[in-house]
Amino acid sequence: MAYTRSKIADLIDGKIDADTLHQMLSTPKDPERFATYVEVLQERVPWDDKIILPLGPKLYIVQLKASKQWKVRCECGHDFCDWRENWKLHARIHLRDTPETMEEIYPRLMAPTSSWQVLREYYCPECGTLHDVEAPTPWYPVIRDFEPDIDAFYRETLGIPVPERAEAA
Amino acid sequence: MLGIDAGGTMTDTFFVDADGDFVVGKAQSTPQNEALGLIASSQDGLGTWGLSLEDALRQLQTGVYSGTAMLNRVVQRKGLRCGLIVNRGMEDFHRMGRAIQCYLGYAYEDRIHLNTHRYDPPLVPRNLTRGVVERIDMFGTVVIPLRDESAREAARELIAADVEGIVISLLHSYKNPTHERRVRDIVLEEIGRSGKAIPVFASADYYPVRKETHRTNTTILEGYAAEPSRQTLKKISDAFKEHGTKFDFRVMATHGGTISWKAKELARTIVSGPIGGVIGAKYLGEVLGYTNIACSDIGGTSFDVALITQGELTIKNDPDMARLVLSLPLVAMDSVGAGAGSFIRLDPYTKAIKLGPDSAGYRVGVCWKESGIETVTVSDCHMVLGYLNPDNFLGGAVKLDRQRSVEAIKAQLADPLGLSVEDAAAGVIELLDSELRDYLRSMISGKGYNPTSFVCFSYGGAGPVHTYGYTEGLGFEDVIVPAWAAGFSAFGCAAADFEYRYDKSLDINLAPEASAEQGEAAARTLQGAWEELTHNVLEEFKLNGYDAADVTLQPGYRMQYRGQLNDLEIESPIPAAQSAEDWNTLVAAFNATYGRVYAASARSPELGYSVTGAIMRGTVPIPKPKIPKDDLEGETPPQEAVLGQRKFYRRKRWVDAQLYRMESLRPGNRIKGPAIIESDATTFVVPDGFETFLDGHRLFHLKEV
Repeated sequence: MAYTRSKIADLIDGKIDADTLHQMLSTPKDPERFATYVEVLQERVPWDDKIILPLGPKLYIVQLKASKQWKVRCECGHDFCDWRENWKLHARIHLRDTPETMEEIYPRLMAPTSSWQVLREYYCPECGTLHDVEAPTPWYPVIRDFEPDIDAFYRETLGIPVPERAEAA
Repeated sequence: MLGIDAGGTMTDTFFVDADGDFVVGKAQSTPQNEALGLIASSQDGLGTWGLSLEDALRQLQTGVYSGTAMLNRVVQRKGLRCGLIVNRGMEDFHRMGRAIQCYLGYAYEDRIHLNTHRYDPPLVPRNLTRGVVERIDMFGTVVIPLRDESAREAARELIAADVEGIVISLLHSYKNPTHERRVRDIVLEEIGRSGKAIPVFASADYYPVRKETHRTNTTILEGYAAEPSRQTLKKISDAFKEHGTKFDFRVMATHGGTISWKAKELARTIVSGPIGGVIGAKYLGEVLGYTNIACSDIGGTSFDVALITQGELTIKNDPDMARLVLSLPLVAMDSVGAGAGSFIRLDPYTKAIKLGPDSAGYRVGVCWKESGIETVTVSDCHMVLGYLNPDNFLGGAVKLDRQRSVEAIKAQLADPLGLSVEDAAAGVIELLDSELRDYLRSMISGKGYNPTSFVCFSYGGAGPVHTYGYTEGLGFEDVIVPAWAAGFSAFGCAAADFEYRYDKSLDINLAPEASAEQGEAAARTLQGAWEELTHNVLEEFKLNGYDAADVTLQPGYRMQYRGQLNDLEIESPIPAAQSAEDWNTLVAAFNATYGRVYAASARSPELGYSVTGAIMRGTVPIPKPKIPKDDLEGETPPQEAVLGQRKFYRRKRWVDAQLYRMESLRPGNRIKGPAIIESDATTFVVPDGFETFLDGHRLFHLKEV
């Protein structure tokens, strides 16, 4: 079952109709989905390096056109780091660990107790996009949330060759 | 007599004359003005009799309507703009709904797949909901008195917001309606003062039953969806009156009776089609002496089963429709999402054949080029295997192409599975048959019965195609396909009583050692509820010009052993309950029913008894269709019934099936399979190993030989 490009675009925009969404969720995934999905994303970004895998709404693993190196990149074009590293360690971090900073976003007494739980916001240093928020205990290390096995995903799940990759110098 | 089934695409009319002869008319539905489609469908049907519309309508005694317009209005959220008044602090409960509403109507796979769950927009948005200050607890005691001013303010705001209806539903108003009625009167006063005309619906006046969301949803439907339907029905009634009829149309209601379009509680006509079939089967059973009937109906999208035991239907009290939980008495029916239009797909990983759960519905399948369908459906398999006649689908109205089915099945099923096209298609049909058969078996045995004590009725457009498949080996006492299978729902509507039914929740609890005085008090509480409901029922009949003297009243009650979870609906053996002796009679009737439904040894009088609800049903006599009774003729079908032969595939071989025209077969005819009996609206398949006999009532009996 293939979906039209415009349905996939609606899916990306969160504007897809409930019936089609339900059908997508309850039937086996259409084989063309990943390719179409990435194509739509690729058209929307302002650069033309190849998207290997979307990591978030505005975050991607891309293949640099010239060097074939893989990088974690913000939609604005800012490269955080090599794709095997935790991009959060290269982001601007805003920490909410006091009642005052919590109360900027929560009503009084409805926020977590900051000695028990803090909020860490990860921003792109160039465009200021908020890419992720963590809510761990104060002493907890930065969380690495996703380590994709891209080789297996391309070869075994999608059944296509893994794009060329130059190891970082 | 006229029965109407106005579906989304086709409008069926079913005319019966005084001898029980009938014609079925079909026409495209006309949602803008339903009356047009109805008139066209009637002309189509009456054409067979060579009667003009005017002549026929003048002789018409009564007409019953069933349709899907109200249900569609709710599903598409295209009802009237209503305001809602609830308890202050509870303004969000309608918007939040019950959790179950986020997966109602889903296939089992999706029910356990949380990502698919979704909440529909509420019938009344939050900005048209107002809270009033009051509280009554579950015992009916006033905890906070009603602050009149808060009701007045709510009313004024909603009136100013130009709502088209105001619905009032306060906590525990079924137990003590005084506050809710006071709010209603205040709202009416304010409406009067504003000079506008806005209908008001208080839940206590309509559905005084437990469960807030159910009661509120149902009361909202009265204002949101039923009022527009009332206008539609009035239009239809008027259009027919212009053509010479002299009666008001009645509508099939969820409780299994028909009610007038003038009825106060009109929301209960939200679904009617499938119920019609069950009522038709019950009526046939009453006339012909079948007391245990398994009703089965296959349409384009689903397989519906209902059981009639000892001549009685089961009534469900809190059904769901259009993904809403409701407080309506509904003829209990179980449904599985497999029909003739169900899509067939292969699981890409396991290569298992998967039926549905979605379907092409009226768009048949790939074989109908104009449908735009690309996925194989059950109908495509029928087409390939010779079950269906490509040139006579819906009497030739839709031309089907067998070759398209063959190619689609080859590409989508046969090649990936390494099977021939015939075997792949036959595999699908076998799978469907066994799914339906297992479902039917588990439904009957799950209720503690055995198929051998049941007669199975099979109807609906696609029912008779599969009758052999889903009844084979179950050992039913008899398997019956009415010759008017496709119009059976409309027939059932015409056969239904003119009946109003009102329900009220009660909490009567009596310990096993209760005294005679307590028994008498319980009887009087029940009697009080019956009197309240009698008033409502007689009121409804008065709207249609019937005197109280014309109405036959049948009280009922729902009773259970104390502490058990499920109650049983019992028809009261006595017309009124006054004394301890009467109470004992009611208890004895409950014990007898419980023993019949479950087992005599499962009765638990040592727990004491609870009455959870009072019911009042009122009927007036109306003419019903006569069941035809013809003399039996010879066993050999007449020459004009023989249509030729068609290749038919089953059990890995092609055979030549004899084709017959259903309308030309005579009572007494006996047909041995392989044979296919065709009619405009349905196809009855009799494979080898089966034979069928047409009796004098125009019922086909199918049996394995």
